[in-house]
Formats: sequence, C-alpha cells, structure tokens
Amino acid sequence: MANDKTTDSAQGNTNDANARVQELIKFVKIKEKPVELTGHYEVPCIKPDSFIDVKPQLLSSVEQLQRLGYPTAGLIPDWKEVFLKKMDEILKKYRSVKLFLDICVRCGACTDKCHYFIGTADPRNMPVARAELMRKVYRRYFTWQGKLFGSKFVNGSDLSEELLAVWYTYFYQCSECRRCAVFCPYGIDTAEITMAAREILNSVGLVQKYMHEIIDKAQTIGNNLGMQQNAIVNALEFVQDELQETTEIPDIQVPIDVEGADVLFVTPSADFFASPHIESLYGYAKVFHQAGISWTMSTHASEGGNFGLFVHNYGHMKKINKRIWEAARDLKVKRVIGGECGHMWRVLSSYSNTMFGPFDWLDSRYPRPQHICEFTLDLLNRGALKIDKTANDEFVVTMHDSCQVARGLEMGGTEFGQFEIPRGVIRGVCNRFEDMPENTIRERTFCCGAGQGLLGDDMIATRVKGAIPRMQAYSYAKREKGVNFVALICAICKAQLSKMFPTYGIPMEEVGGIHQLVGRAIVLGAKEGI
Amino acid sequence: MTGITFIVNMYMSSIVYVGCAVFALGFIYKVYFEYYKTPQPLVIPQTPQPVTLSGVILRMAGDVLFFRSLSKGTTFLFITGWIFHFTFLMMIIRHLRYFIHPVPGLITALGNGAMFLSVVLLVSLILLVIRRFAEERTAYVTVLADYVVLFLIIGITMTGIMMRCEPFRPDIVAVNAFVLQLMDLKAPFKMLGMHPAELLHKGQALSPGDVIFMCHLSFVFFLLMYFPFSKLMHAAGYFFSPTRNMVNNPRDVRHVNPWDNS
Repeated sequence: MANDKTTDSAQGNTNDANARVQELIKFVKIKEKPVELTGHYEVPCIKPDSFIDVKPQLLSSVEQLQRLGYPTAGLIPDWKEVFLKKMDEILKKYRSVKLFLDICVRCGACTDKCHYFIGTADPRNMPVARAELMRKVYRRYFTWQGKLFGSKFVNGSDLSEELLAVWYTYFYQCSECRRCAVFCPYGIDTAEITMAAREILNSVGLVQKYMHEIIDKAQTIGNNLGMQQNAIVNALEFVQDELQETTEIPDIQVPIDVEGADVLFVTPSADFFASPHIESLYGYAKVFHQAGISWTMSTHASEGGNFGLFVHNYGHMKKINKRIWEAARDLKVKRVIGGECGHMWRVLSSYSNTMFGPFDWLDSRYPRPQHICEFTLDLLNRGALKIDKTANDEFVVTMHDSCQVARGLEMGGTEFGQFEIPRGVIRGVCNRFEDMPENTIRERTFCCGAGQGLLGDDMIATRVKGAIPRMQAYSYAKREKGVNFVALICAICKAQLSKMFPTYGIPMEEVGGIHQLVGRAIVLGAKEGI
Repeated sequence: MTGITFIVNMYMSSIVYVGCAVFALGFIYKVYFEYYKTPQPLVIPQTPQPVTLSGVILRMAGDVLFFRSLSKGTTFLFITGWIFHFTFLMMIIRHLRYFIHPVPGLITALGNGAMFLSVVLLVSLILLVIRRFAEERTAYVTVLADYVVLFLIIGITMTGIMMRCEPFRPDIVAVNAFVLQLMDLKAPFKMLGMHPAELLHKGQALSPGDVIFMCHLSFVFFLLMYFPFSKLMHAAGYFFSPTRNMVNNPRDVRHVNPWDNS
C-alpha cells in the first residue's frame, strides 16, 4: 500500500513536470516587423531574453512519434535519467560534440557572427552562448569537478524544466549554418552541438513538429511533401507537358523510373511544383535534353533533401539516404546527379560514402555523386550546350551561397570549387553578374534565415529576423550595382527568400534558381550534344 | 638550517612533483581517452578546406602559428591574443636555460629582449582582461574561470618581472641548483634526506627573492595542475578538431564510421 502511494505521488510529480514544460514552451504566434533596408547590417547591443518567447510547435501525432521512435506523451516521467544517458551516448559517439564542449575558451570571436543574433539581439543567440547552454550541463554532469562540487563551482546548470524550455527555444533558433565555425580559432561548429541538443530533447519527448513530420514522411513515403508515387508521376507529367508546350519541342522529357538510363537525377521534391523551384526543374530537363544524355528521376528516391541531417540521429539520416542508393542500383544507372539543394548535397556526397560505401558500380569516369552545377559547367566548358546569354539580359544577377554548400564540402575536387563552380555556371549563361559585399558571401555567407528545420510557418518571427543580414546585403547590391535577381542553389533558400523578399518590399520574382537562368539561356533544338 | 627553509623546500619540491604528475597524467588521459579515442562518425570539414593532407597540415599550421581563423573575425582579439601567445611561448623557451646545459646560443640571445617581451606579455594580458568586461558581448559569456586563468598568468608574469629587479632578485645559482636537483631521477626518493640549506639560501633566513620565487613557482604549478581540467585544453584539442583536421575529400576516400556496423 505504501509502495502504491509513492508511485502515485511520483506519477503526480512527473505529470506536473510535463505540464510545466508544456506551459513553458507553449507555442505563441508572434509577429515580427521587418526592418528598414539600409544596405548595411549592424551588430546590435545585447537585449537579454528578447526572443525567448519564440518557440516552434511540438509534434503531437502519436503514430508519427512512434514511427520515429520517440516518446509519445510529451515529457517522459524519468526524463532526467534519459536526458543524461542520451547525452552520454552522444558524447561517446561524436568526437565533434565532446571536443567542442571541452575546448571553447569563450574568446568571443563568434559573438557577432550569427544572423539570428544580428536579427534578434538576444545574447543567447550568440553561438558561444548557445553552446554554453549545453556546456553548462556538460560541466555539471560530465566532469569530475562538476560531479564533486556541484553546479555553482563549475558554473554549470542542474537539470530542470526551465532548462529544457530554454534549450527548446534556443536550439531551434539555430540554423546550423556553420558561419560561426569559420571565425572560431578552433573550428568549433555550433551546428554539431545544436544537432546533439535537438536529439537529446527528442529522446525525452520534446519533438519539434515541422522538421520531424518531414523526417517521418521522407522515411515512410519517400519525400518531404508526403506525395504518393502516382502524385509524383502526375506532377512530373504535368511538368513535361508544360515544357513541351512552352518549348514546342515534342520529345523533351522528364523521365521517371526509366531503367537503364545514364543518369539518376535526385532533387528536392519542392522542385516538382513549388515556385520558383519548378523553374529550375525546367532548366535541368533542358540541360539533359540538349546534352543528349538519358536521365531519369525515381519515385523511390523522390526526395533529395535529408532532414535527418539536422539532428544527431544517424538512423534517420541513413534511412532517408538509403533510398537514393537503392534507386541507383535498381535503375542500373551510370551516374548519380543531385539537383539544387543545400543539405542534400552534403549528405549525398559527404556522408553517403560513409553510410553505404562508394557507388562502385557506376561509370568509372563518374564514380561519385555529382552536383548539377559541376555537370552543367562541364557541359558549358566543353561547348556542348548552345547558350544565348542575351536571354538573361534583363537580369543583373547576384548569388547567395547556400550555407551547406558553401561551408560543407568541396565541389569539382578543388578547395574553392563550391564558390567558383556555381558562379561559373551563372557567368556562362548571363552577361551581368555582381557579387554582394565580401563579408556576406563565399565561406562567410549568411544563412537565408530558415535552414535546418526552421522553415515552418510557426517560425516566421525567427525567419524574418534571421533574414536581415542577407536582405541588407542584397539591398546594398541592388542599390549600388543594380542587381535585380538572386540565384540560389538550395530549395530552402528559395522558399525562404521568396517569402522574405515581399516581406521586405522586394518583388518575389527576383528570387530563382541557377538552373532557371540556364533554362532561359539555353537554345534548344540545335543538336550539338556530346 | 632553520625550520622555515625546510618547510619551504619541502613545499616547493612537492608542488613541482605533484604539479608535473597531475598535468602529465591529466593531459594524457584527456588527449588519449577523450579526444583520440572518441570516434568521429562523419566527415565535417569546414570549407574552404584543402583537399589534400599536406594542404590540411598547412592550413592547421596557419591556424596554430598565425591564428588565421581568428584573424578573419576580430582584429583586436587576434592581435592581442597572438602577441600574448607568442610572448608567452618566448618566455617558456627562455626558461629552458634552467634545464638545458650548456645553454644553447638561441636561448642566451633571447635573454637580451626578455625584459621587453615580458612587459609586452603583461600588457597584452591586461588588455585581454579589460576586453573581458569592457566588451559587452564577451562580458556576457565570460565566467569566473576565464578570469582565474588570466590572473594566474598575470601573477606568473608579474613575479617573473619582479625577480629581475632588486631587492627581489633570488640567488640565481641556488635556483639553478634547485632545478637541477629536482631533475635528478632519484630526487623524489631522497627528498627527506636532502640538505635544504643548499636548495635555497645557504643556511640563511628567507630573502624577499625567495618569497617571490616561491610565488612564481606556485602560480606556474597551479596553472599546470588546472590545465587538464579546463579550457586550457584547447592547446591540444585544436589538433583533434574535426572541422579543421579532416581532409576535404569525402567523395573520393571513404571515411569509415567506427560504430556503424551495418
């Protein structure tokens, strides 16, 4: 009887804990006004807790949580144990996390580098302060000083519901863009810490909705939008009709599930119908058609994007990525090419070799996944495409380097390829190209403000604030150099900027993909293929 | 021989041995078990990262020797931080004259500028302290431990400078003899039997120089003992930083994830 009573009261306490957390991280709709575009962004003075109310919605669908393997009823009763166990597991599995928690000297070099800090002035959005949220727990529970002398001595934090709420707030105000790591003397990558923190939150039952819904759809259905196979086929048939009508070329195709094609082409599912994404899809189709290379998309691997990258849950990422590998094998292709997508490119090229081994049955000349820009630039350099640059003369083009491409890995086998190759493609199809200010492009590029799971409508306040540095840089280029088009190579950037441009009073039509420009300039029909 | 010199001698020899042991064991444990042995599952270089190993080594050398990553961000911290690290290193090299006999010419040559370098070191440290509270954003993230380290090194530097001036100049021959005696492998075992009078002042009471020398030595070994458990591990940690030490060729060379067995 006595035993029963204690369990009852324990149950009561933990329910309280869940109720408290739910209250603390309740989603509130917050509107943020855009700032005036002056052409320069300024580093603000800190305003503590100015953005503490902005939190994303929680995922509550039980089936989805079950499929993802996370607790289904909010914060679990024994959350402190699970929390520490998960953290310990990640610390033992990821040197990056372990090391980055250990060696930061709080020098302050990163404090003014985050676009969310510049936008919100909330000091916890400074990369070092964000990481310090986790570092405080690390010092308290994972160092012997902390274990012996407690949190005061090591300047740590004890686990509490308030701590969970602060984690949930600020680790979902980080777009894992890695800009801070460029300036860090030790290369401390806050993205790795954010990914770890998000997975720890997931393990105790605080699962963000937007991102994890997508992870679930990509795993179970095969793409982020949850389109069934027939819907994909319909969408692509529509694209094909549209292309044949506008180009008046009857044999231009958007093939799907063609066994034995030369190229398996993988792209974010947003490209199938979202605007301006679809313009790039027309561009890809025209390039393949004009080069005379047989290609195919796959209903099995109908998604390039891999939201599994955004949390340190290796299983999610692997499961989503596996579809591409399987599709390439089943369709017996000779090459794998990825479309315009930031994190897809990083997972497909950096990680899939680790997770599944090399695509060693591919054509020995192209044994590794390629980026569509590498592919197109190669064709342009070989003169395999007939280009009429004047078709883009109405545009003065600039380029926004997408964070995962620019700071992710090499392109074209060279150190600076990820900056030069996309620019090479733009220069190859446009007469007028101008860069934005030096400290906002290339490896120092600012995130569009909605990367890595923050693209949901519930995060609109964060998105408006996070876009400020990019909007200022663009408005500078617009004013000083007459730029009127920003070319992108990431589906998230396209979605975010095509929403933010109108918010900041710039026409939405000024956003587009690089292959949108290629598609416009390419002269079809003149069969010069390779 | 007086009681006080005996105690001082015992204290100084034990802090040297304990400090060295804690530092060495802690440092090796951290580097081997926590940094080296923890697997890095995925390739996460931070571009523009060289695509060859030699390129990566050059980049890391640029970071270590000239603080290249830091120079991209904050000029003031870059300059002050670099001057601090450089002059501190020069001071450490200069101190090798107590351990290496005969003293190499390079170290002797360094002696001419030693006073100047140590004053520069002190100034850079004071600037770093000021920056910690004067700069709003840095002040927000600063914790007590950051000041502890800075003030320990300031203490070391100030006592070091003092010892070059009268009346704080210790008997340099005695100090040298003290160090040499400590370096004797058998010394820990005959510590009790050592003749304390020979270690410090020859049978006299403590001079101001002895006290300052004792402080200097204590600060140094406090710092060394603190080293493995603090942010000072950045010195070794940098070399294991996966965004910096991984070659940027994941498509060409397969990186194996040690814990992914499927």
